[in-house]
Amino acid sequence: MIDTQLSRRAFLRSASGAAKGSIIILGLPAILVSCEKSKKANLLNEKFSVLSKEEVQEFHAIAARIIPTDETPGATEAGVIYFIDNVLNDGRAAEHETLRIGLREMQAAAAQKFNVSYFHELESEQQDQLLTEAEGTPFFGTIRFLTIAGMFSLPEYGGNRDKVGYELIGFEDRHAWHPPYGSYDADYAERGE
Amino acid sequence: MAEANAQPNYPTREKVDFVIVGSGAAGGVMAKELSTAGFSVVVLEQGPYLKAADFKHDEWGYDVNKDLTWGSRQGYPQTFRKSVDDDAVTRESVLDYAHNVGGSSVHYSGNFWRFRPIDFMEASVRGPISGTNFADWPITYDELEPYYTKVDWEVGVSGLAGPWDPPRSREYPCPPMPVKSSDVLLERAAKKMGLTPYPAPVAILSQPHNGRPGCIHCGFCNGYGCEVNAKSSSMASMIPLALDSGNCELRTGCTVSRVNTDENGRANEVVYWEEDGREQAQLAKAVVICANGAETPRLLLASESEQHPNGLANSSGVVGTNLMFNGYSTAVGLFDEPVNAHKSVPATRVVHDFYELDPSLGYYGGGGIDARHFSAGRPMNAALAGGLFGDAPTWGSEYKKNLQKEFTHTAAFDGHTTSLPLATNTVTLDPNVQDKWGRAAMRTTYLDHPDDISTMKFFYEKSMELLDAAGATKSIGSYTEEGQEGNVHLLGTCRMGNDPSNSVVDKFHRSHDVENLFMVDGSSLVTSGRGQPTMTIMALAFRAADSIIQFARRGEI
Repeated sequence: MIDTQLSRRAFLRSASGAAKGSIIILGLPAILVSCEKSKKANLLNEKFSVLSKEEVQEFHAIAARIIPTDETPGATEAGVIYFIDNVLNDGRAAEHETLRIGLREMQAAAAQKFNVSYFHELESEQQDQLLTEAEGTPFFGTIRFLTIAGMFSLPEYGGNRDKVGYELIGFEDRHAWHPPYGSYDADYAERGE
Repeated sequence: MAEANAQPNYPTREKVDFVIVGSGAAGGVMAKELSTAGFSVVVLEQGPYLKAADFKHDEWGYDVNKDLTWGSRQGYPQTFRKSVDDDAVTRESVLDYAHNVGGSSVHYSGNFWRFRPIDFMEASVRGPISGTNFADWPITYDELEPYYTKVDWEVGVSGLAGPWDPPRSREYPCPPMPVKSSDVLLERAAKKMGLTPYPAPVAILSQPHNGRPGCIHCGFCNGYGCEVNAKSSSMASMIPLALDSGNCELRTGCTVSRVNTDENGRANEVVYWEEDGREQAQLAKAVVICANGAETPRLLLASESEQHPNGLANSSGVVGTNLMFNGYSTAVGLFDEPVNAHKSVPATRVVHDFYELDPSLGYYGGGGIDARHFSAGRPMNAALAGGLFGDAPTWGSEYKKNLQKEFTHTAAFDGHTTSLPLATNTVTLDPNVQDKWGRAAMRTTYLDHPDDISTMKFFYEKSMELLDAAGATKSIGSYTEEGQEGNVHLLGTCRMGNDPSNSVVDKFHRSHDVENLFMVDGSSLVTSGRGQPTMTIMALAFRAADSIIQFARRGEI
């Protein structure tokens, strides 16, 4: 178990580092998808503090559409659902209630439109359709906020595992930099402006 | 460091020379000046004493949980309304300031523009603006200049003297910070447009100074505490000297509820709660309130008594009025090459060619433009704002792809502008909402003057032009057309002036009403400057301390 985690971590790190213009990118999605599948199976056995099992499955699925897993890791690999559980358990009962109410509405829409009871059982396109329709609601605003926050906050809050969020956007979490910081100041120095 | 041992332990029932309320930009300077001059000083600070090692690159903690700035989560709700006709509603991040030793000088960006000579006499030069309290200061730039220089050297400022700078009596102690790509883009564009960009003065050390190290360019200045003490907060630069004096007792976790007066109407006692809720009261010969432009008027209003029915030091009725935020505009451009504006200090160049807008535009205003990262270099905030350009999606695969460029390949050209002082923009006590101590919550009533909004629009448009000239492939910008609903600059609420009927303190920061009470912080400002007030707040504190020391030595307090 630990070995698998470690090797996946090492793989993701090297893969995203090499992702720009490397053929390794071609092999990535399939592996990530299999990771995601094994994670889904695990989720049901894991202990969450405030989220019900149903909420875990549903919010996990929603987060995976907001920041999908494609050529690069998404909300699933970042462990966003763990972040959501942690922060909802930290004085955020009101936000949890917003999510509960919104989820019920979303499930009702899934049943009405697609005759399926749960969001996570829908096809990706159907999921995206429901989320698009929910844009602008407090529910969507809250779940989007928590998903993104879980992807890009410090790993100690439960998400952004292996700092996959930071890597995604080119943010290297370190404490010291030296000029040149980017292309333009490098050029500026070279020209002696 | 023997600082903990050097601290005296003054009995609360014996008068100390001075109680200072607040240890921020002004309070830290005041504590250092008064204690090293030999006076006994108690500093009351509501927050903890966090030091370099306590700070983290923690967006969730600082930006969402408000670990430094505090809000409803910590038991300090605030309310907001645009006008007295509206109901004030509880809102987060109305008046945002750090609750810790050093106050907001710990988490500020450190942009240390001096005010210019014009700022102190602009009402005379421009003429009055009807419906506003636009006024000259009772002091001039020349009177404050020696104290700006004191800030440069004692607090620590990096920059480059030149013809673009206001007059100065001495060089900067540290050279300017190395230029960033975002500022190269700004500088080149500005020059193309015939403007004169120059190195931004910052309260961040570019090299070791006064026993503190130079900046390591981690990028987490704005909203964060410096992890190496290169940022010149009063916590890093002043408080250690105050504690080393052996005359200063710093009491943290102490929330001041009121200032009491004796039968002669003189301030004699400061009442506060310790962290565990125990009430204490420190006797003092004189009281200096340095609690910031929000807390200072709140404390005065809450200190009402039979002798002072409108609140302490408020016979004029202007305590809490004339609140000024500074205006703000932003314009973000996408560039072909990596900019990485998230690295190093917020800004390294500034354009001050529009310091005074041409009166023929038909409105009053002015400001400066600098280049920054659009989310202050913060990954989570960048992603929350993601989908910046055009109709780009704000979630899903394409959103995710865009984030990669948005974070590293953008520069934001930001405008920092004037706010006019208005009687209707106020900090008052909310009759309906209370904080964790049962005190009335701070209620802000604020609507930018139409000229302030026009000025923001001018700077937004100018920044968009600059982005074009810089070669941005896409750009987007904004300013608050409907008026701002909160800020971190808290200015003007106990303004300085010669006339006791329309100002709260005199030119030496002494209350017009209460002889031994001084207010020294952002609340003293008569006008707003151009968006970077802390340099001036610190200079005023050095100057006020000089006069207070002289008054005390002459027995005139």
